[in-house]
Amino acid sequence: MAAIKAVNAKAEVARAQAALAINICAARGLQNVLRTNLGPKGTMKMLVSGAGDIKLTKDGNVLLHEMQIQHPTASLIAKVATAQDDVTGDGTTSNVLLIGELLKQADLYISEGLHPRIIAEGFEAAKIKALEVLEKVKVKKEMNRKILLDVARTSLQTKVHAELANVLTEAVVDSVLAIRRPGYPIDLFMVEIVEMKHKSETNTKLIRGLVLDHGARHPHMKKRVEDAFILTCNVSLEYEKTEVNSGFFYKTAEEKEELVKAERKFIDDRVQKIIDLKEKVCAEFGKEFVVINQKGIDPFSLDMLAKHGIVALRRAKRRNMERLSLACGGIAVNSLEDLTVDCLGHAGLVYEYTLGEEKFTFIEGCVNPLSVTLLVKGPNKHTLTQIKDALRDGLHAIKNAIEDGCVVPGAGAVEVAIAEALLVYKHNVKGRARLGIQAFADALLIIPKVLAQNSGCDPQETLVKVQAVHLESKQLVGIDLNKGEPMVAADAGVWDNYCVKKQLLHSCTVIATNILLVDEIMRAGMSSLRG
Amino acid sequence: MRPRPDACQANRLGAASGPAGAVQGGMAGGVREVLTLQLGHFAGFVGAHWWNQQDAALGRAIDAKEPPGELCPDVLYRTGRTLYGQETYTPRLILMDLKGSLSSLKEEGGLYRDKQLDAAIAWQGKLTTHKEELYPKNPYLQDLPSAEGVLSSDGVWRVKSIPNGKGSLPHTTATTSKPPIPTEGSIRVWSDFLRVHLHPRSICMIQKYNHDGDAGRLEAFGQGESVLREPRYLEELEDRLHFYVEECDFLQGFQILCDLHDGFSGVGTKAAELLQDEYSGRGIITWGLLPGPYNLGEPQKNIYRLLNTAFGLVHLTAYSSLVCPLSLSGSLGLRPEPPVKFPYLHYDATLPYHCSAILATALETVTVPYRLRSSPVSMVHLADMLSFSGKKVVTAGATIPFPLVPGQSLPDTLVQLGGATSWTPLSACGDPSGTRCFAQSVVLRGIDRAYHTSQLSPGTPLPSPLHACTTGEEVLAQYLQQQQPRVMSSSHLLLTPCTVVPPYPHLFSSTFSQHCVVLDGSPKGSAVESIPVFGALCSSSSLHRSLGGLAKELTKLDLRRWASFLDAGVEQDDVEELLQELRSLAQCYQDGDGLTD
Repeated sequence: MAAIKAVNAKAEVARAQAALAINICAARGLQNVLRTNLGPKGTMKMLVSGAGDIKLTKDGNVLLHEMQIQHPTASLIAKVATAQDDVTGDGTTSNVLLIGELLKQADLYISEGLHPRIIAEGFEAAKIKALEVLEKVKVKKEMNRKILLDVARTSLQTKVHAELANVLTEAVVDSVLAIRRPGYPIDLFMVEIVEMKHKSETNTKLIRGLVLDHGARHPHMKKRVEDAFILTCNVSLEYEKTEVNSGFFYKTAEEKEELVKAERKFIDDRVQKIIDLKEKVCAEFGKEFVVINQKGIDPFSLDMLAKHGIVALRRAKRRNMERLSLACGGIAVNSLEDLTVDCLGHAGLVYEYTLGEEKFTFIEGCVNPLSVTLLVKGPNKHTLTQIKDALRDGLHAIKNAIEDGCVVPGAGAVEVAIAEALLVYKHNVKGRARLGIQAFADALLIIPKVLAQNSGCDPQETLVKVQAVHLESKQLVGIDLNKGEPMVAADAGVWDNYCVKKQLLHSCTVIATNILLVDEIMRAGMSSLRG
Repeated sequence: MRPRPDACQANRLGAASGPAGAVQGGMAGGVREVLTLQLGHFAGFVGAHWWNQQDAALGRAIDAKEPPGELCPDVLYRTGRTLYGQETYTPRLILMDLKGSLSSLKEEGGLYRDKQLDAAIAWQGKLTTHKEELYPKNPYLQDLPSAEGVLSSDGVWRVKSIPNGKGSLPHTTATTSKPPIPTEGSIRVWSDFLRVHLHPRSICMIQKYNHDGDAGRLEAFGQGESVLREPRYLEELEDRLHFYVEECDFLQGFQILCDLHDGFSGVGTKAAELLQDEYSGRGIITWGLLPGPYNLGEPQKNIYRLLNTAFGLVHLTAYSSLVCPLSLSGSLGLRPEPPVKFPYLHYDATLPYHCSAILATALETVTVPYRLRSSPVSMVHLADMLSFSGKKVVTAGATIPFPLVPGQSLPDTLVQLGGATSWTPLSACGDPSGTRCFAQSVVLRGIDRAYHTSQLSPGTPLPSPLHACTTGEEVLAQYLQQQQPRVMSSSHLLLTPCTVVPPYPHLFSSTFSQHCVVLDGSPKGSAVESIPVFGALCSSSSLHRSLGGLAKELTKLDLRRWASFLDAGVEQDDVEELLQELRSLAQCYQDGDGLTD
């Protein structure tokens, strides 16, 4: 009888074998949910809520977020897997599969009486060896556009259909290459993603500039200007102040009127400063003038600006201000004193597009823009969401590849190679820990097996073929999912991220080990607060 | 240049209204827009009732029973256009709730949907469908016209004509057969009785936490704060705010309806902080909502409620122009006090459906000043008047319904009403008798002009000075002056009553239905459709006691026992700081008689 029972009769306790059984069951349950996702031939899942809202996904990360996971162990695994996604942007499904498989393989030995601690030791040794192998097989080369396209395609094909993946691949790679600045880390934040519920998903494209989801608010402002100066500012052009505490400042109606006029003049002066600058530079260079303000612009000020042929957008999003100056050049000003032509950015084309009640302003034709926009199109909300999730993963994949400076062959090739190496390494290890290494090697093969299975091939047969070719050629051989035959992954242009695999090996081993070593589960008045 | 008529009382508040109008001349017609945020499930309940009430009033206005509204619906509603060019009229609203709380309501609403396009799927490979059991639509909502796309006779997909509340289109609630009152049992979530179509940008679901079940609840303040720290939700909120705010020409501010008892107090805090940062100079009026009585059997829930409420109140006060707790329970503290009583209402305090209806009616009344069509008092102004010297928390009270007896005039009724504490307190601050009021904003609505002043034949001795007044506004002002001399009061008298047609629950006691004025002239005994309401926002010294009491209870609490609350992102130091701030806030409301006079 567990001690906890003495103090809390309601406590539930599971020990040793029972505890392990519960945990393994949860891990494998999760594995079964996600296994059909893996690879480009995996199954798309359509989740329909009780109200009829649709969600379409085959991204493990999205699925784990959607599921209401009640089992504490499953929830722990889900958290690790999604944490992996937060860091590297990929690998959620592999993570869950691998943890489940490690536990399954371990269970075979434990049921024969091997202590979990020994398996854990084996896992640890295997992990270190696996990382060594990974180090060896990684392909270091210059990350040119071609290889980045391959990386992006590998990632995107697992999330969306092939035709769309091709469209997105180019867009994603070109956007990252555009915002990349030598000497700076890649800031994916500088790729704005704007969605437009319009046309079909294959109309999604890269805009070398910015798309703002609002338009000019004055009927007389031009809907399209070419060759324009862009002034980005964060200055209120709105009459607002007098209301604050105004009651204390005046006694008579005349005084109030005076105060109000003074306040209005204050705003008008600001607007006039912009107009003055416009008159000056546009006379000189013969260009158009566009103002993009983070603060508000009231109808009165809009009117003044419109009269002078200035296009003005108000209430630009805070996060777009930095992007604006990176895309068009110029600097965002916080005060209208000392305005000079140096503060201004430039765009070749600014035009407005109206879609129902929504307006979009395209700022294009920027010279060397360091911030770009991925304009996501699709006929409905769930398609837009699906593409946005895919884009996010694709962007991460490219960023990882550039930052790693290397890639690893995909299509299960790495797993096959590591498993092979581990089997050799096993013989150098003394004692029962080698059983743990064997289990680890077997577990890794879940990835090629599931890949094959999802493409409709016989998993064992395919795996044996691949292993045979691998041994023979000493090349990194993966599965050609269209034919079910072995192929050299590098030649086919299937590349995965090095950091994703590395992270995967680390986190799976840690979690599997931790779960193995649990020998008692208690549930006693636990708060439901699990965050 | 057209000077605005000053219909308000000749106090600073009234005189100061509308400077913008004076300068902007022709543009003075500009509506001072307000954006509403509803955070939490009980806030959803209150909001649903409130929008229903407003919607019903819009319907009545079209029936032309009343003069063109004294209230300007454009303040809270926006006009939009679907992709098919159909005009829409929807609340300018962002609401947040947890996964699983919507029941049969679609996240995107029905207005802008196109069934055909929605079915398109961007995938050619294998597909499995995981379908949750379809939530049945509440039987009560079955008659609500579906606004979804239908195939029109010419073979084009169109959205059916949508009632927009302004034009000549038929209105939802103006249909011939009046919908029945939904039964209490059938109401589980607020969407079960919401009869207003929402804009697709309105509903924002927090997928991270569950509405139902044991696991993954949004229980603690810290959890709520961290929701809006995540870029995913923060950007979502910013985008929605941007959508609504960008189109406003004269945005006056934000009203936040926020649950205080659970983690949403943290969400509200973060939201208010964001608003204050991004839109400085605008009014932010926060209504802190607390649902009905607590169950003493669940000590943890009760403690959490106390902590969330305290954290919420203090932080929301810091970021808002004005904060008003709204609840039907007797106190904020741990020990439950009996829920407040209304002389003419029977309600079940355990039903959120009932409680929220009453609170919505109070809101519909006390928010009148900043929703008026002519010479509105802006949010900033209202907050300014009520919150001087740091008293940003105010209490609300209301007489629902206002007992106007047929044949009697307003002065008669007010004289009978007597004491200043005639309204039922709605801010869980205990009995207001014996407390002092520092400033108040009072609204009385639903009194026919014929009853505004005394009808006594000349020569009859006047029963009270009130009977000598020549306008209803004067009567009300004089009454307030009598009750609370030396208090800065602003008052508004409206002809428009509060509409209480179904799905408003039938709460009215038989005495009210039989004795009191049914304003639309329907025969006695028939269902009440609209009621007069007397409501007030008041900066009252009762807050000294209740906020101080809250601080005291928190001091006694052994927080180490509730470590999980702290785990959710609140530090021990934060608690100390909180206590300090709560005490100094309470200090603001100390009855200053002994010191100043």
